[in-house]
Amino acid sequence: MGYALDFAAVLRGLDQLLWGLALGLMMGLAGLAAGSAIGIAGALAHVFGPPPARALVRLYVGLIRNVPILVLALFAYFALPQYGIRFSNITTFAAVLAVYAGAYLTESFRAAMITVPQGILDAGRSIGLTGSGIALWIVLPIALRNALPSVGNNFISLFKDTSIAAVIAVPELTFQARKINNESFRVIEVWLTASFLYVGTCALIAVALRRLEARFPRF
Amino acid sequence: MQSFLDVLALSSAALLHGVAITVAVSAIAVAAGLVLGAAFGLVLTYGGTVMAFPVRVIVDVVRGTPVLVLILACFYMPAGIGLSPGPLTAGALALSVFCASHVGETLRGALLAIPLAQTDAAGSIGLTFAQTLGYVLVPQAIRQIAPNLVNTAVEIVKASSLLSAIGVGELLLTTQEIIGRSFKTMEFYALAGGLYLAINLLIATGGSWLERRYRLR
Amino acid sequence: MEPILTIKDLTKSFGTHRVLDGVDLDVHAGDVVSLIGASGSGKTTLLRCVDLLEQFDAGEIRLDGELMGYRSDGGRRMRLSGRELARQRSRMGMVFQSYNLFPHLTALRNVMLGLTKVRRLPAAEAREIAEHWLDRVGLANRQDYYPSAISGGQQQRVAIARALAMEPRLLLLDEVTSALDPELVQEVLLTIRRLAEAGTTMLIVTHEMRFARQVSTRTVFMDQGAIVEEGDPAIILGEPRSRRLKEFLSSMAN
Repeated sequence: MGYALDFAAVLRGLDQLLWGLALGLMMGLAGLAAGSAIGIAGALAHVFGPPPARALVRLYVGLIRNVPILVLALFAYFALPQYGIRFSNITTFAAVLAVYAGAYLTESFRAAMITVPQGILDAGRSIGLTGSGIALWIVLPIALRNALPSVGNNFISLFKDTSIAAVIAVPELTFQARKINNESFRVIEVWLTASFLYVGTCALIAVALRRLEARFPRF
Repeated sequence: MQSFLDVLALSSAALLHGVAITVAVSAIAVAAGLVLGAAFGLVLTYGGTVMAFPVRVIVDVVRGTPVLVLILACFYMPAGIGLSPGPLTAGALALSVFCASHVGETLRGALLAIPLAQTDAAGSIGLTFAQTLGYVLVPQAIRQIAPNLVNTAVEIVKASSLLSAIGVGELLLTTQEIIGRSFKTMEFYALAGGLYLAINLLIATGGSWLERRYRLR
Repeated sequence: MEPILTIKDLTKSFGTHRVLDGVDLDVHAGDVVSLIGASGSGKTTLLRCVDLLEQFDAGEIRLDGELMGYRSDGGRRMRLSGRELARQRSRMGMVFQSYNLFPHLTALRNVMLGLTKVRRLPAAEAREIAEHWLDRVGLANRQDYYPSAISGGQQQRVAIARALAMEPRLLLLDEVTSALDPELVQEVLLTIRRLAEAGTTMLIVTHEMRFARQVSTRTVFMDQGAIVEEGDPAIILGEPRSRRLKEFLSSMAN
């Protein structure tokens, strides 16, 4: 024992840690936005599309959800450039995050779509809406609202997953923490701080989401 | 330049070893996580404020922290108090705590979802609290969380890939080493992805077989 | 005069259970036909077949002479395309037992949706029509409320306005008061009575015998998927001939 806590080194690096946190949040938001677009499209294709579209969505979801995001990130960052697909590590990771989140969000939106009661769909058919009209004007708006809690939870997971970008040297919070760790050897302080920042941010996001959900009526 | 198949033939033993490490460390984490998580869940539900509070803090901190940070923390922090666990020990510890926190929270949710009338009924036929727990509540809760446990196991296998960051020679680090020698980047990352997929599909298949076998659904 | 709705030998089975067994029924303009019978007698299924929400196995339904739901292709019976079905459905209105309002839209928007998306009217015109019909069912002051914020009776009246705004040739009502609290039943029945007095053609599945007698021009009693008796409501309900109708009416009286 005999370890005296000394946060001086961590405090000197606090700027970097906070910028790293902001970078993580930004990648998480970008991943959420693009991932939601993928998820909505995937869910619509699964619920309303022809059998081949449904099979394709199943394949995508099954594949992505069973492969570690780190493998996807390394593949995108190191393998794709050999075929001329080359982006910065930050862009690459945000794109991987979107593809990854898209699979989970497909499931979220799909669950919200298939729980729209049959009677509501009957009412839509009864006034003469076609299948695409029902999808667009009834199922989609209801599902967008009812998927909100699940989308929020996905965002929190996504934000935590941004720590993995450290492995491809994206200077986000975990990368900065490891750097401070290696330079100062304040091994306890730095990880306590990093964990505190993640936990605090997740808690703040959760509170904000609950406020947001309360503002919209659930259907 | 060697072909992919040549490299694969040369490195298949190493890859299998990597798969074995991935499976073993995941299995340890899931087993330890189940035991510890069951304890967490029971304390959170029935422990009273004083006992539940520290567990609540652990569970919330672990669930709010990225797994990679947990792994790095378990790897680096013990040096501060003069301990030096190897990467495998540190990694297994991190994954176990991660698993336990999720299992604990899930179990708590399942136990709370069981109607209070069940406890009353058990009490009225003379069961003690321990008997009520063992014969009435936990069996129902397990039924509830079984599909969730399969998901958790899949998440653990995926999270075990992060152990490559602290030098555990599991599937992904082995893959990276092979790529470092052969430059078959696309092929071997794709292969690693396929192997993770296969492991997880086996878990899912095994899980649904068990559920059917014990009529949990 | 040609009937608006003609049903000929309509037959439908769920598996081995025959829910509709050769139903024949004509509805003329201005008719208010009440359909009575025990639950499981096939009334609701008949209504859902007419609104093309269910497929049927044999027989035909015609609206203003047009064959509904199917076309004959070289002697083979083919279900129409989704677009054709939608067009035909838009010419009938249906009101459901559980209201089925669109939960994400206000009362006004519920009524407007069919006008803007099916009839493709400009928003301003659709709004005018929707306001008119909400006023007709006495809910002008509730037009900006979401369904969850108004009573069941009010929701059902919005549903009636939603169906009527499409100017249907025929209004189908499926046990529209069964899900309502007792004190809310009368406002909905009164709304329907006014429609009947205004000459709206209706086919009404109902358990309210007194209402059927007062409002309908004709009453049809169904049992085991077939029409057993039909005629003037006072005679059908007052002087039942068949044993099954007598049993049904005495069970309703209890």
